[in-house]
Amino acid sequence: MFIIARNLKNFNQDHHHKRSMTINQAELLSIEQFLSTLARDQVGPIIKSKSGTQHSYDAKSGARAVDIVTEIDKQVEKLIWTAVKEKYPTFKFVGEESYVPGKTAITDDPTFIIDPIDGTTNFVHDFPFSCTSLGLTINKVPVVGVIYNPHLDLLISASENNGVRVNGIDFDFKAKIQSMGPLKLSKSVVALQPGSAREGPNFKTKIRTYENLLSCDGGFVHGFRNLGSSAMTMAYICLGYLDSYWDGGCYAWDVCAGWCILKETGGRVVGANAGEWAVAVDNRTYLAVRGCENPQEQEQYIRDFWKCVEGRLDYK
Amino acid sequence: MALTKEQLKEIETNLVEVASKQVGPIIKEKTGTHFESFDDKANQVDLVTAVDKKIESIIKDALSKLYPDFRFVGEETYKPGDTEIGAEPTFIVDPIDGTTNFIHGYPYSCTSLGLVENGKPVVGVVFNPHLNQMYHASAGNGAFLNGKPIKVAERDLKLQKSIIALEAGSERSSGSSGDDNFDIKQATYKNLLSDQGAYIHGSRSCGSAAMNMCMVATGTLDAYWEGGCWAWDVCAGWSILTEAGGIVVGGNPNEWEVPVDDRCYLAVRGGSTYPSQKTFVEGFWSHVAGKLKYHW
Repeated sequence: MFIIARNLKNFNQDHHHKRSMTINQAELLSIEQFLSTLARDQVGPIIKSKSGTQHSYDAKSGARAVDIVTEIDKQVEKLIWTAVKEKYPTFKFVGEESYVPGKTAITDDPTFIIDPIDGTTNFVHDFPFSCTSLGLTINKVPVVGVIYNPHLDLLISASENNGVRVNGIDFDFKAKIQSMGPLKLSKSVVALQPGSAREGPNFKTKIRTYENLLSCDGGFVHGFRNLGSSAMTMAYICLGYLDSYWDGGCYAWDVCAGWCILKETGGRVVGANAGEWAVAVDNRTYLAVRGCENPQEQEQYIRDFWKCVEGRLDYK
Repeated sequence: MALTKEQLKEIETNLVEVASKQVGPIIKEKTGTHFESFDDKANQVDLVTAVDKKIESIIKDALSKLYPDFRFVGEETYKPGDTEIGAEPTFIVDPIDGTTNFIHGYPYSCTSLGLVENGKPVVGVVFNPHLNQMYHASAGNGAFLNGKPIKVAERDLKLQKSIIALEAGSERSSGSSGDDNFDIKQATYKNLLSDQGAYIHGSRSCGSAAMNMCMVATGTLDAYWEGGCWAWDVCAGWSILTEAGGIVVGGNPNEWEVPVDDRCYLAVRGGSTYPSQKTFVEGFWSHVAGKLKYHW
């Protein structure tokens, strides 16, 4: 633990030490600041200037035929990779574009988990909810999260035990939560996204669950919203605009940054299926719920939500 | 009488003034602060607040001073079975569109001020004070966002490549009300999304009809399909969309011409030719799973 006292520069040169150590709070904040600057100054301008300009694109095959990959996605990931490698050469890196199914594993080591452009369909259509999503896990737990949407010029960031910042200014999420009143399923606005896989049992489960949530005989939620970006959705929950988000099919890089920020605001991420109280960052199904003053209320909300889930989301 | 282009522009300018100076600040200040007003009555998802009424009276006062001869239809003063939209110039106003957003502090509530003449939307002003977006247009004068002309980039309009706004709305009973609108909507969403159906690129939902219309007007969205909303939800956006090259048809198949109070609409963006818009509409209608029925 002697490492804690050191500054980050020395720490990074400290290759030979085992990675299973902790990184202290000040170091996490410094990583958050580094990623924030990278997102705002380098990634954001590319996303903003290229959004809506890619009219020719490759459609991925099979289940992800509507999941569009652009050249720019790849370029942006490379830019991020290069920057973080230089600054944190010992950290691992998992990115959407470099991910290899079945091969890429998230370990206990400090690992950047990033989505260069989250909301690719939004990006292609110039719908102003694409963003970059930069996260860091240690011991598989999200400890730094940075989300930047250049269209709205909205930067939201957090690191473990350091609170949340919006455009660099400390965000008083406690006051926000107090102003929001009780957390109840029937009084909540829920984010739901059909996603890109539109056949098979998972699609059926989603459609049936949406109906159950909306129906006056079911959850009867106040409303649902669909932004087409997991990271922006998580950011909006953190800001107190939405109460929860239920999804399946997304990946660790879609939720990692948002997860860290949400946790800092007292929010909670569990699995999309009933009973999944503890899930890994790469679980691929999630229910994210905002913070509230009474933790029991949050637990009850999760139980009530799960009652509306009909079938089971499974991406293994 | 028919209003001239110049008169319409002047009305547009006055509505922009009312929206930005008198309405916007109240919406911005009061959003997210009215949770105590939640009404737990069954089926009462559509929340009406005191603020809504206050804003409507502010707008009505301002407009009746400027245009004493024009009629006024507002969400809060509407009387079922009694309020009719005739040929005379009529302001059609939603003081706060996206009431659920307003209550929850979700930044997609706005004010929606429209004018119809001979039943057709001819002026539209939609102002979202949270995002500081002022959409405005009048017939023959073009459409603008914050004073800049809205230009939709010319590009392909194809159902399978589109993103479409789809909302759940507040009517959520399955069959029990005698109408099966909720079931028809859910089945249509499924048809649109499924790889066995239209397999659209994506659906989006922001919870405000007026904002959806404006996003179709700018080409941010390709289309918006809705049943159950009211003339005041769409009137302003309709005028803005039309001026930006888009079209509005019925939400049910084969309804190419619908009145502003039809309550069931399909709005399609510009940036493409009328024949491609027509093909898009016909393709879309083929996925509508039944006939939506609403009463005015």
